Amino acid sequence: MAMLEVNDIHTFYGNIHALKGISLTVEENEIVTLIGGNGAGKTTTLRTISGLLSPRHGQVKFEGEDISSTPAHELVYRGITMVPEGRGIFSRLSVSENLDMGAYSREDKSKLQDDYDRVFQLFPRLKERRKQVAGTLSGGEQQMLATARALMASPRLLLMDEPSMGLAPILVENVFETIKQINKDGTTILLVEQNATVALSVADRGYVLQTGEIVLKDNADNLKKDEMVRKAYLGID
Amino acid sequence: MDAVWKDSSREGLIFGVVIIFFILIGLTVTLSDIVGNTLDLNSDSMIGNTRGLMVTYSILGLWIGIRGANTAERTWSTSLLSSTAAGLTTAVLVGVSVFVVGILDAADVEMRNYLVQLSRPSVQLLIFTKDPVSGSFLTAGIFIISSALGGLLSMATESQRNSQQWQAVFLDRFSNLSLKRVKETFHSSPRLRWVGYGLFLAISLLIPQFLSKYWNYAMGTVGIYVLMGLGLNIVVGLAGLLGLGYVAFFAIGAYTVGLLTAPAPISLQIGFWPALIASVVLAALTGILLGLPVLRMRGDYLAIVTLGFGEIIRVLIRSDLMSPYLGGPQGIRDIAGPTIFGVSFSSEKAYLYLIVIGILLAIFFTNHLQNSRVGRAWMAIREDETVAQAMGINTLYYKLLAFATGAAFAGVGGALFAARNQYTGPADHTLMVSINVLCLLIVGGMGSIPGVIVGAFVLKGFPEILRELELYRLLTFGGLLVVMMVLRPEGLWPAPRRRLELSAEDSSTPVLEDEASG
Repeated sequence: MAMLEVNDIHTFYGNIHALKGISLTVEENEIVTLIGGNGAGKTTTLRTISGLLSPRHGQVKFEGEDISSTPAHELVYRGITMVPEGRGIFSRLSVSENLDMGAYSREDKSKLQDDYDRVFQLFPRLKERRKQVAGTLSGGEQQMLATARALMASPRLLLMDEPSMGLAPILVENVFETIKQINKDGTTILLVEQNATVALSVADRGYVLQTGEIVLKDNADNLKKDEMVRKAYLGID
Repeated sequence: MDAVWKDSSREGLIFGVVIIFFILIGLTVTLSDIVGNTLDLNSDSMIGNTRGLMVTYSILGLWIGIRGANTAERTWSTSLLSSTAAGLTTAVLVGVSVFVVGILDAADVEMRNYLVQLSRPSVQLLIFTKDPVSGSFLTAGIFIISSALGGLLSMATESQRNSQQWQAVFLDRFSNLSLKRVKETFHSSPRLRWVGYGLFLAISLLIPQFLSKYWNYAMGTVGIYVLMGLGLNIVVGLAGLLGLGYVAFFAIGAYTVGLLTAPAPISLQIGFWPALIASVVLAALTGILLGLPVLRMRGDYLAIVTLGFGEIIRVLIRSDLMSPYLGGPQGIRDIAGPTIFGVSFSSEKAYLYLIVIGILLAIFFTNHLQNSRVGRAWMAIREDETVAQAMGINTLYYKLLAFATGAAFAGVGGALFAARNQYTGPADHTLMVSINVLCLLIVGGMGSIPGVIVGAFVLKGFPEILRELELYRLLTFGGLLVVMMVLRPEGLWPAPRRRLELSAEDSSTPVLEDEASG
C-alpha cells in the first residue's frame, strides 16, 4: 500500500476547474516530484493534499485512510506537514520562536530537544541566528527555516512547495542536498518544483503537470531523458 | 540673512494660524479662564479673563520667540532678530484677525450665526474691552515684546548651558534612569513584572481613599475602559482580529444586568451577582455566535462586519419594536448594585474597588492565556493564518476563543458600568465606545497589558484632568493621536515584540533578547 494515494481529484476555485482528475502515489521513503509550468496546478495539488483546499470529486488517502475532507491542522497530527510556498515563515518572530511554532502539534515533548539538535545540525546557520527576527534572514536562510520548522512537527510525509523559488543557484543546490539528507533520515517527500533540473536530480519518481492534468509519469532518470520534458522543462534541445 | 527671516517667519506663521484657529473656536476664552483662575487674576470682561488672556498671549509669545531664535545662528543679535521676526508675523496675523472681528462686532454683525463661539462677550474679551484698534494693537504688541524676550531668554539659557558641564552629566544620568530602561527591565523579568503589578495593586487600592467622590467616579470610568481594553487587546492585540463592534458586548453585559435586576421592563430582580455571571456568559456566547459566521473573513472585511454588528445592537436597544423588553430610548432605570453579606455598594469608592478587582482578575487571566499554548496559537494566527493552520493550529477554534474571551471582559465592563450608574440606555453604547477602546490600545501599545492601562489613563483620564477643555476633547484626542503616531508609532508602552517590529529599520539585525530557548 502506498503511503499517499491521490485518486482522480478535481479541485475548483469558484467555477474555475483547476485540477482535472489528478492521480498520483507516493511510496514510503520516496522523493516524488511534481513538475510543470506556471498555472499547471502544482500548488493546487499540494494544497488539496494538505487540506487547505478540498477536492470536489476524488479521494486523498494517507496510509489507507481517507483524508479528503480532513482539515489542514489535523493532518499535522497525522504526520503530514507542508512547507508553504514563498517560504511562509513567521517573519516577525525570532528563528527559535518559528521552530517552537513548528513543534506546536507535538504531544510528546520529551524528544523535542533531540529535534532541535537535529535541525540545528542540518542547518547550522539557524543555530547561529536563532535569536534573530526571521524576516531579516536572507532568502536561503528563510527557506532553511521553513523546512526546519516543518521538521519540528516530525512529519512522516513532508510536502514542499517550490523550495527553489527566488534562490541563487548555489543556494538551490544547497537546499536540495538537505532535502536528500532529510529523506535519508527517513522522511518521505513530495516536492513541487518549477526547476525541473534540480527536482529530477534528487527525486526517485516524477509527474509532469499541464493545465490541471498529469501528462507524464515515470522514474526521474527516464523523465530526464524524455524528449518533451527536455524541451519544455529542462531547456535542452 | 534672507533665510533667517524666512525660517523664523514660518514659525510665526504656524503659530499665528493656530492661534487664529483657537480664537475662532473660542478656545481663547477657556485658556484665559484657566490661566486667570490659576494666577488668581481679576478680570473686567463678562466671560473669560482679560488679564489671563494677556498672560496666555505672553506665554505663547515667549514660545514663539524661543522657536524663532532656534532657527537662527546662535548670537545675541540674530536670535533677537529672528525671534522678533517670528513674533511680528504672528502679531500681524492675530492682530489683523482681532481687528476684523472687533470691527465686525462694532458694526453689529452677528458672528455667532457662522461661528458659534464668537459671541459678543467673547469678542469683548479679544479686544480687551477696548475699541477694535487699540485692542488689536495691544494684542500685536504683547506678541512682539514677548517673542523678543523669548529670543533673549533662549540665548541666555543657551550660553549658560554651554558653560555648565554638569547639566550634560545630569542629562546623561537621567537618560540612564529613563522610563525606557524601566520598561525593558520590566518586560524582561517576570518576577519584576509581578512586583510591578503588585505596586500597581497597592497604588490602586490606596488611591481611592484619598480621592474625592468625583475623582473616584472618573477613575472608575477609566477602570472600566481598562477592563474593556484588556478584552479587546486579546482580540486585536494578541489574535490580530480587527473588530470594531466591541461595544455590542459591552451593551450585552450592561443590558443583561439591567434586565435581570431592575424592576422594569421585566421584573426579575435576581440580584447583582447572578446577573453578573449571566452577563459574562451571555456576552461570551454572543461572541461565539457572532464569530462563527464572521471569523471566516479577514482583515478589513472582519472590521466592517463587526462594525455593523455593533450598530445592530445599538439600533435594537433603541428601537420601539424591542422597547417593551429592553426599555427603548429611555433605557433601564433602577439597576441593582452588588451587595456583600447584606452590605450594599453605594459609594463610588466601593465601585472603584470592585472594578480594580475585575481588572486584576482580567490581567491574571490574560497573562495566563498569553503565556500558554493558547497564546502561541494566537500569535501564529496574528502573524499568518494559513501558515498557522499548516502548523497544526485549529484557527477557527482559537479565533472563537479570542472573540469569546474578549467579549466576556467587555460583558463584565458593561455589567459594572450599568450597576454603578444604576441606569443604562442606548446613549451609553455608541460606536464611539468601540473607537475609544481601540484608540486606547493604539495609544498604549498593541498587545501590551501595561499599555492598556496607560492608554486608558491617557484617553479617558486625561480629558478629566482637562475638564475645562471638555469641549475640545475630540480635538485633543485627534491631535494627540497624530502626534503620537508620528513620535511613537508603537504606542506609549508597547509589548516588546511590537516595538521590535516597528523600529526594525533602525538596526540591521534585530534580536529578541527575552524568551530565548534551546
